[in-house]
Amino acid sequence: MTAWSVEGLAARLDHFSLGPVDLALEPGRAVAVLGTSGAGKTTLLRTLAGFVPPSAGRVLRDGADITGLAPEARCLGYVPQGLGLLPHRTVERNVSYPRELRGDVEATRHVRPLLERFGLAPLARRRPAQLSGGEAERVALARALAADPELVLWDEPWQGLDVEAQHDLGFVFAELRDAARVPVVVVTHDPGLAFSIADRFLVLRQGRVRFWGEPRELLQRPFDAFTARFVGYGNVFDPAALAEGAPGSLAAWLRARAGSDGIAFARPTVSPEGPNRGTWEGIVRTVRPTPEGFTLTAGVDALPVVLRVPAPVPFPIPAVGSRVRFDLGENDIRPLGPAGATGGSGTGR
Amino acid sequence: MGDTAPVLSAGHASPPVRHLPRSGGPWLALQIVLSGSLLLLFLLPIYALFAWAGPARIVSAAENPAVGAAIWLTLYASGIAVVAALVFAIPLGYLLARHRFRGRSVVEAVVALPVVVPHLLVGLGLFFLVIPGSPLFRFTNAIGFPVYDTIWGVVLVMVFVSAPYTVLAADLSFRAIDPRALEAARSLGAGPASAFLTVSFPLALRGIVAGLLLTWARAVSEIGGILILAYTVYPGGPYTGPVTSTLSVLVYNLFQSGDLGDAAAVSSLFLLIAFAIFLAVRFGERWGWVPWRRGEFLP
Repeated sequence: MTAWSVEGLAARLDHFSLGPVDLALEPGRAVAVLGTSGAGKTTLLRTLAGFVPPSAGRVLRDGADITGLAPEARCLGYVPQGLGLLPHRTVERNVSYPRELRGDVEATRHVRPLLERFGLAPLARRRPAQLSGGEAERVALARALAADPELVLWDEPWQGLDVEAQHDLGFVFAELRDAARVPVVVVTHDPGLAFSIADRFLVLRQGRVRFWGEPRELLQRPFDAFTARFVGYGNVFDPAALAEGAPGSLAAWLRARAGSDGIAFARPTVSPEGPNRGTWEGIVRTVRPTPEGFTLTAGVDALPVVLRVPAPVPFPIPAVGSRVRFDLGENDIRPLGPAGATGGSGTGR
Repeated sequence: MGDTAPVLSAGHASPPVRHLPRSGGPWLALQIVLSGSLLLLFLLPIYALFAWAGPARIVSAAENPAVGAAIWLTLYASGIAVVAALVFAIPLGYLLARHRFRGRSVVEAVVALPVVVPHLLVGLGLFFLVIPGSPLFRFTNAIGFPVYDTIWGVVLVMVFVSAPYTVLAADLSFRAIDPRALEAARSLGAGPASAFLTVSFPLALRGIVAGLLLTWARAVSEIGGILILAYTVYPGGPYTGPVTSTLSVLVYNLFQSGDLGDAAAVSSLFLLIAFAIFLAVRFGERWGWVPWRRGEFLP
């Protein structure tokens, strides 16, 4: 039951600088680190793990400053991108590795329960090269837990995994968080994973913290195109896309309400009473089935708007080229821009 | 947790080997003729050696104590050279693979130097370095490593000409290791030395062994530098046998004095020994007699 905090942590690399970053990591809580490629997510993790020397700030473990400690002295379960399994060791001896390092002569016997728990017992004698992606992820996770970590850092879980393996791993991950009672920091591109396990989101952009807070805050107040798309807004327009609209058009209506980075809104529902009701009209360009019904794209003047028709579909599916109508209210739209970021607490630095 | 169903992934499985459709006709014939010519060039001189010597002469060479002493000296000195490469060349290879520093390309060029310099020059250079009366001459004598006409002279030349192969092999092998495996190991509690012993070294071992094999092969075939520094080897240091010379020098002497049959017989005998050693290491690897194949190597 260890609490961690990160205060003003910053690091400089050749062409990149990270931070300052402030975090509070509580036992049994998970933080998802989000951001586009090159935002500094991996650098943050490697700085926490002790592989990148910080240029400023502190890392505290239960109040004790561990900023200067070597990676091996930090009590971390760090799972790097690509997992970092030891290719010359079997599954069993990958998992027992941290215990062997501490001089446990019966390490393979002691990690037996861990192998069982992660469904790895039948694979104990295999080598990493003989594992599927999902199996390898479980080995990496079991190995991290064998070290009795006080903080788990995981870079890009389930990269390249198929949906079934992701589903399996989601449960494993939740178990890790609940059973180990340690904080988990996970870097991910996957909204599904982030929303299912994380209690807090940290959004980085060009090395700076843009958001630190609860997922629902970000859901209510996305502040840029990346965050809006990440939390699931189907329609995201930057100011340039809205510049062309004539007075009275949807583009002009949105332009009047957009923030400095544009505007976002969820997929509006095609009016259920029939295709001929609703404020705005567009011409259907594509129709795509989804588990929840159908997703349409419609050209409203020149603006491509993504719409949905929820199942059960109450009227004939509009064909490509036909006209559909929909409503869009003041409450549906989210202006994007620095002002939109106020929802996050602790973004001040 | 559903662990029973096999889980597919592109993430970690190695890509399946694709077999190209077999090319036929003139293109294949050309390949066979060209590669066959080279193989013949390798094999025919060896055949000529054995044919010239004949089985009887090879057996009598094997029973000759003078030949035995030369073979023993050669194996002994080359063995010491391999150990020296193990001790000194692996750290240099690791340094080159893992660290970026100013002047690295200069160091790499220096490592390649012994490979490109004619070996008679190597002998001359070492000769002038430890020329009688020089400080290094007095120093090597004082610490009990006299080099002129001793096994140490042979070892010195052998290490000079052969250690680069181990440096290069170690460099390449360490470079091929996924740095993230090393970071994971560090994070799981391995200090730098421990990570080297449990991750870097076992993973690089196969490549290093291949480099050591090349080093050994290069060492036993050396003659140029030895002709100058240790033409005749007197007992001293670890070598306690009779006055002799390395096998290469012995064969050279036999050839110069017109004993062509004996020269061929001694050469054939040594080829057999060298071939046996190569085969033993290769089969050892394949059949798992040696630890680096099983990958269970741990200190």
